[in-house]
Amino acid sequence: MELWYTHLLRETIDQDSLLVQGNRASALGALDAGVRFFAGYPITPSSEIMEVMARELPLVDGVFLQMEDEIASICACIGASLTGEVAMTATSGPGFSLMQEALGYAIMAEAPLVVVNVMRMGPSTGRPTTPSQGDVMQARWGTHGDHPAIVLAASNVADMYRLTMAAVRFAQRFRMPVIVLADEIVGHMRESFSPELVGRYRLTSGDFDFTETYVHPERVREVHPPHELGTLLHPHVTGLIHDETGFPTNDPEKSAEFLRELHDKVVHHRDELCLYDVKNQGGGRVAVIAYGSCARSARAALKLAEAEGIPLEVLHLYTLFPLPVEIVQEVARRVEFIIIPELNLGQYAREVRRMAENWTTVISMGRIDGNLITPREIVDRAAALVGKYESA
Amino acid sequence: MTDVTEPLGPDEQHPPVERGSGAGAATATEPDLGPPDDDRGIEQYLHTDRFPHIWCPGCGLGTVTAAFLRAALSLGLRKDRTVVVGGIGCSSRAVGYLDFGTVHSIHGRALAFATGIKMAHPEFTVIVLTGDGDGAAIGGNHLIHAARRNIDITTILFNNMIYGMTGGQASPQTGPDHQATTAPFGVAEPAFDLCRLVEAAGATYVARGTSYGVRQLERLIRGAIEHKGFSFIEAVTQCPTEFGKRNPPKSPVAMLEEFKASAVSVKAARDMAPEELKGRLITGLLHKDEEVPELTAGYEAMLARLRAERERDGEGGS
Repeated sequence: MELWYTHLLRETIDQDSLLVQGNRASALGALDAGVRFFAGYPITPSSEIMEVMARELPLVDGVFLQMEDEIASICACIGASLTGEVAMTATSGPGFSLMQEALGYAIMAEAPLVVVNVMRMGPSTGRPTTPSQGDVMQARWGTHGDHPAIVLAASNVADMYRLTMAAVRFAQRFRMPVIVLADEIVGHMRESFSPELVGRYRLTSGDFDFTETYVHPERVREVHPPHELGTLLHPHVTGLIHDETGFPTNDPEKSAEFLRELHDKVVHHRDELCLYDVKNQGGGRVAVIAYGSCARSARAALKLAEAEGIPLEVLHLYTLFPLPVEIVQEVARRVEFIIIPELNLGQYAREVRRMAENWTTVISMGRIDGNLITPREIVDRAAALVGKYESA
Repeated sequence: MTDVTEPLGPDEQHPPVERGSGAGAATATEPDLGPPDDDRGIEQYLHTDRFPHIWCPGCGLGTVTAAFLRAALSLGLRKDRTVVVGGIGCSSRAVGYLDFGTVHSIHGRALAFATGIKMAHPEFTVIVLTGDGDGAAIGGNHLIHAARRNIDITTILFNNMIYGMTGGQASPQTGPDHQATTAPFGVAEPAFDLCRLVEAAGATYVARGTSYGVRQLERLIRGAIEHKGFSFIEAVTQCPTEFGKRNPPKSPVAMLEEFKASAVSVKAARDMAPEELKGRLITGLLHKDEEVPELTAGYEAMLARLRAERERDGEGGS
């Protein structure tokens, strides 16, 4: 596939693969997916995405804008998106908080948009250079009102590249903002990375072959036709509840129908949106459900557990929202315990509990001291659970 | 006469980006103008099926909107090449009645949306309709930065000195000695001189008009749209419902009479002492600078330079 690693190839002239930083990989993935508009505001630990865009976009006749704040950044992206541009911005927790109102607008106005949030410890300024997964619920529920959300989580450099691409594709297809969550570790780590390596990371849920249609995707027309300012097609855009004409309505029936449709276009496409990977499927009495940098620990824990004879399986989630209900419940039906290591106080564990508690025991393994959860800790926790069960 | 209602042909539905081509207002064919006070002509720019509008009887927002539409008509602005962005508030609701590409955005952020639209499509004529609360309070930061960038956007700020839609709260433009629901004992803070603010920030076309002097306002708006750069028009207008009832004169007519009495032209103001100008509205074109580079043109020049460098390097390598 020629299109999707053009930018990467420019860097790999002399090498088969090279060390690429996660943030850089995200920017390259965006460029290769067709992003041609970026407006942003500097913030640690995401600024490198913006810096790569500042350098690369003018070389492909794209638009790069450094705005006065994160609110202006996302609003400029929405403006560009409404004219048909493929737009993206990147930020971290505090900036992501500032973007929340506009995210709701993009959902309401059905403006395709990608927001990469490289999470850092919070709340407030927190510890800016320390990893965290504290924004999971902000990504889901940060903006006001009942709304759908598509949230992806990257666990390594290759993920940053391909999940940013997937986010562009999902945003265009479902015409709404898509959030890519990374954390400081994933954003700042450098890993050996090449287009071939990206291809090797196959997912159980399947399709990561980026065909051309992913770059210029057909649009879903389940709700309303897309806005394209500069044509006479559907020319009025508003954040007010509106009907199929695009103009505001106060009609209770139409209001409910419209909001329901916004939800349904996401929830009814869970099969397509929920990306995941199962390791050692059916091989364990304990399942680890993990995402982001914690999924790396979980994958490493699998090897340790294998060596020590502890029955473990790992469900690595790349899509956090919409909730992968069927996938989680399938795992829940066959294990006795689910443990969820995450760098927060159990934000996603609560979601897993809601999905799985009818079948199994869900245990949150949250950590908020700024350090990673190690593979050893995960294995020890699993061993204790299994041992406890046997002695009971 | 330019038929602004004619939709694009199928081949033109998805026009490519023509950066810096300056299409839109500049390339529209010469319009055949009716008399400027004949309002029938502007109906083609209005979604009259959306009427009645939400504005109160005696409100000046419609007067200012009509002045904008007459200016648009005189320039033959094409519906498919003109994007009008509003924020939130009474004035921003105008976009819902206009038959251009229209964006009813979020509170205070109209200029940020417009910046994205203009950068993505420099060939569009981009207009922002905002109010004193939307543009000067919550959106004040975007206002000064849009001015600093000198991006080719025309901003019409409807200044009625009050938050009308939310029921009469004080705005930054309410000013001392006035009352509002959130300033029942009077406002202790001074108001912005918005025109001086945006001029200092870098705007290259700055003007002030009132809903009394509609002909002047129309001329100023026309000049602003024609100007290549960030244009700002403060349109002082009456809100009899929320401002007038707490701050006499109460009636719309009395408020207009007051605008008439306090307005002084830029030319006349030059010969007046500062104390004479206290409390007066200086109207007309306050500032114009055609030397400052415009953002989208500057950005396009940078892209062209990079393209030329790439071609040169490519040739050198082969």
